[in-house]
Amino acid sequence: MEIEDDEILQGFIEESLEHLADIENDLLAIEEAGAQIDEDLVNKVFRAAHSIKGGAGFMGLTAIQELSHAAENVLGMIRSKKLIPTPEIVNVLLIAADQLQSMIGDVHNSNEVDISSHVTPLNAIADGTFSQPPAEPVARKAASPPAAQPVATVVEEEPAAEEMAVEAEAAQEPEEEPELELDLEPEPELNGGDPPLETEEELAAPEGNSQGSRTKQSAPVKAETSLRVHVSLLDSLMNLAGELVLSRNQLLQTIGSDDLRNAEAVGQRIDLITSELQEAIMLTRMQPIGNVFNKFPRVVRDLSKKLKKSIDLTIVGKDVELDKTIIEAINDPLTHLVRNSVDHGIELPEIRKKAGKPDRGLVVLKAYHEAGQVVIEISDDGKGLDGDALAASAVQKGLITSEQSQTMSDKEKVNIIFLPGFSTAKEVTDVSGRGVGMDVVKTNLDQLGGSVDIISEKGAGTTISIKLPLTLAIIPCQIIETGGERYAIPQVNLEELLRIPASQVKDRVERVGDAEVVRLRGTLLPLIRLADVIGVERTFYDHKNEEVRPDRREMVSDRRGNESPHTRRGNEQDRKEKRGNRDGRPRSVIDRRYSASSALNVVVVSTGSMKYGLIVDRLQDSEEIVIKPLGRHLQNCKGYAGATIMGDGRIALILDVGNLARMAQLTSVDSSDRAAEVAKAAEDALKAKMDRQSLLIFKSSESEHFAVPLNQVERIEKIKRHDIEDLGGKRVMKYRSGSLSLICVDDVAMVQPLADHDDLLVIVFNIAKRTVGLLATGPIDALEINADIDDTTLSQTGIMGSIIIDNHTTMLVNVFEMVQTLFPHWFAEQERKVAEEIADEEPPNILIAEDSKFFRNQVKGYMTEVGYNVIEAEDGVEAWERLLEYGDEISMLVTDIEMPNMNGFQLTQQIRRDSRFSALPVIALTTLASAEDVAKGQAVGINEYHIKLDKERLMVSVHDFIKRRH
Amino acid sequence: MTENTNTVAKAPAKNSNIVELATFYVGEALCGMDILKVQEINKLMQMTKVPQAPEYVLGILNLRGQIVTIIDLGRKLGLGDTDISQDPRNIIVNSTGGHVGLLVRKISDVVTADMVKREPAPANMRGIQGEFFTGVFKTDNTLIGILNIDKVLSIED
Repeated sequence: MEIEDDEILQGFIEESLEHLADIENDLLAIEEAGAQIDEDLVNKVFRAAHSIKGGAGFMGLTAIQELSHAAENVLGMIRSKKLIPTPEIVNVLLIAADQLQSMIGDVHNSNEVDISSHVTPLNAIADGTFSQPPAEPVARKAASPPAAQPVATVVEEEPAAEEMAVEAEAAQEPEEEPELELDLEPEPELNGGDPPLETEEELAAPEGNSQGSRTKQSAPVKAETSLRVHVSLLDSLMNLAGELVLSRNQLLQTIGSDDLRNAEAVGQRIDLITSELQEAIMLTRMQPIGNVFNKFPRVVRDLSKKLKKSIDLTIVGKDVELDKTIIEAINDPLTHLVRNSVDHGIELPEIRKKAGKPDRGLVVLKAYHEAGQVVIEISDDGKGLDGDALAASAVQKGLITSEQSQTMSDKEKVNIIFLPGFSTAKEVTDVSGRGVGMDVVKTNLDQLGGSVDIISEKGAGTTISIKLPLTLAIIPCQIIETGGERYAIPQVNLEELLRIPASQVKDRVERVGDAEVVRLRGTLLPLIRLADVIGVERTFYDHKNEEVRPDRREMVSDRRGNESPHTRRGNEQDRKEKRGNRDGRPRSVIDRRYSASSALNVVVVSTGSMKYGLIVDRLQDSEEIVIKPLGRHLQNCKGYAGATIMGDGRIALILDVGNLARMAQLTSVDSSDRAAEVAKAAEDALKAKMDRQSLLIFKSSESEHFAVPLNQVERIEKIKRHDIEDLGGKRVMKYRSGSLSLICVDDVAMVQPLADHDDLLVIVFNIAKRTVGLLATGPIDALEINADIDDTTLSQTGIMGSIIIDNHTTMLVNVFEMVQTLFPHWFAEQERKVAEEIADEEPPNILIAEDSKFFRNQVKGYMTEVGYNVIEAEDGVEAWERLLEYGDEISMLVTDIEMPNMNGFQLTQQIRRDSRFSALPVIALTTLASAEDVAKGQAVGINEYHIKLDKERLMVSVHDFIKRRH
Repeated sequence: MTENTNTVAKAPAKNSNIVELATFYVGEALCGMDILKVQEINKLMQMTKVPQAPEYVLGILNLRGQIVTIIDLGRKLGLGDTDISQDPRNIIVNSTGGHVGLLVRKISDVVTADMVKREPAPANMRGIQGEFFTGVFKTDNTLIGILNIDKVLSIED
């Protein structure tokens, strides 16, 4: 076969394929209309077949000609109402159209194709000898309700008639096509012989005959080579290009003349034109999503027929436009999802009837714009997904552990179907479940920068919504700054920007396990510091001096009662010095936390179902950027999605927020709250094992080691010896706006005197509503140790006991007792009051539950001192026995949390469950009063929390409760 | 029939043994590479650092709209950092997968070399591993190590 002219052939192929694409949907509509023939529609299909026949004849494509002629005959009979289009007839026509399409796709071999299997039934229909004569279906149709027919129908929101009319016209006058073709490929050379086009066509026609998927498969391949652009759009592009050239000339002139004011005007002009040009060019790439949607009526029809289901398909928003690369790429994922809905989602009619649903299932395909993105929704009113069954299956397949499955929320369970290696179909049908799992769908969409989400209610249906960017080439980004460099975060990933003012940082940022979290409208949002993840120096932006300076805080917030920021182990001295140097003023004068530059800038980002906060130095503008790929040497830097060139010519890296989360080991999907819970549980478990005590270690003389409970320490100051003033027999120093009383361990206890150093430390405590400073020398350190305290050997006034730390016997200083000894008048008033209150009646009984003898004795000491009776218990079980024994003689329970046999939480729970004791005040003592503990304690019914050895606060609250009880 | 577009004449035949070498100093070593592989030679422009990049990658820069990865040749070849303050030069090479800039201490002459006279590279040349060279070329007064650019730009492990 010799084809003379490539260009004409190419034109024929494209035109024919377009006709065929329309024919499919039109035939479906004809089928639905049945006897009420829409003449326009039939005319249109008829003309399309006719055009193909004519073209093929001209080209010498005899097989195509013959087949289209047979189809035209049948259509002609339908047009003249000699034939009523039954589903069977339409089916034959559809299959013939498929065959035509594949033949045109491989036009050079089309004459060798055996088309008799198509032509024979067509001719049979035309001759009236088709196995189902036209009269019969009519009769049958009348006899049985149309709903019982396993046929899909299409309900379109917008009437397509107008559009069709236009297209029909176009089909009639192909010479006057109102559209131009932009050929993106070099023109094929007309050197006769073999046209280069053939290989291309071979590519376009994939092997295999599975009609459903192949019909459209050739279309995207074709679309890659050329694109139809409306002439008016092309005109406006041309116009803009002209404008741009003019503006350039202006700009060059202005540069020559040094006219600054004019330069500004020209700059604005170019800005305007460029944006318009950009938009116009983007428009040329935009295509209606209808191009993809249009094939689904056929897909649903064929599938439902095969599966004996009856399904309606509603398509909404065909006109929504997307970049052509995206249109092409979503084709397969969408097909998969629609097939899933039909195959797995919608039930068989009998089952639907039993469930009280209409027996026709409904699948809705919907596209719309939302927040600069396109959302595609595939929803069905089928059986929905059974989260528990999914979880069970995933456990069985070893994809998740059963523990994991138990902690999963319903939404997470439904999302299991995206796990690689998970297929929901119990048995693999030939419709879906052919190895292409939902995980592939998700991966494909991820690659497009889109996301997919499932909402499903068991029995009521499933909605899968896909969010896609409008285009891939230019994306809006939020520009941020960290470590002096700019980075871009795609707007798609951006949820919100959050600025936590300096004064609120302490309250809103908390620590759960190893992670920092921020409270955001009632949920905990994990925080990641960008500088840490990508491994640059932490900095902060100083607004006053407009410069970037190193940040040396180790944590965003210091934990109240848990550890003091000034006593981070190790480099304390070092850090202090650096702070001093940097600020050029003592750190204590202005706490940086309260200056504006220590506010936290948090970019709340989401990727898929994961959401977290990224701490950055500075937030800048939102900009539209062009993505450029990074070189291959940087392919291993997973944190970046690419780079872009900023207005000043420098480069900014584009962050890949998904990978950043992975790098920060924020692996859990959709479960930041759960992660927090798990972390907390782990922490609790650890704590439950050991009764730990945080201590601050220091020295006073050279050879003796001392320690104080860390949670009593307010702060630590570094002073010189000459800062100390000796006034009125008391040592004081200037501190903030007043004087600070200074004490030494050797003032009270029999220990060696303070070493004669010039550099001294003052450990500040807050006792009896006053501050007092304990003089000490370094080195200091903060440690967590097992509370194994010897309270006899070295015990004396001011020393509670001793403990072995790093092979040194370390004395535990009782600051409260020291202050009491040195400044008895500080307490006089308070104690008198308490004593008076108690003296009136029987001294109340207080039950103390504490496993450590040392702490029990300490607390007992506090209590008996002021006149309470103390009943002791070594653990929760014993405490419960005592409680049953003494009944309501016990006025209050003071309990440790970490105890063997029954811990404080369990004990409290048991007490609260018993109506006799439900009103008993419970004060919990703990070494670590973290916020989580407090919350947990409150949940089980603990009235108040106190830190062990914080005698003052404990006693105040004991008095309070006793007073209230009487 | 698809070949007709590909039968366009290839690069004209020439004496393939004569190669012009662009030579430059990496540390104290004089190295050379085929000048046809060099796109251009620049001064070091403003760079953007890429945290977490391999240590021999100094950063990336914008070369007329192209992102160029800058590699410190000294560091890559194990000769220590190239001193940025000494006005180093940047040899832009168009390698597979994007443009790459090779930072060198100093640019030297273009030398015409006959590859027939090329000698195998020693195991080590002024501290540079022999594997980075395809050979050594002797001129009247000096030795030029001919760099195997593909090897230098390969991504190990």
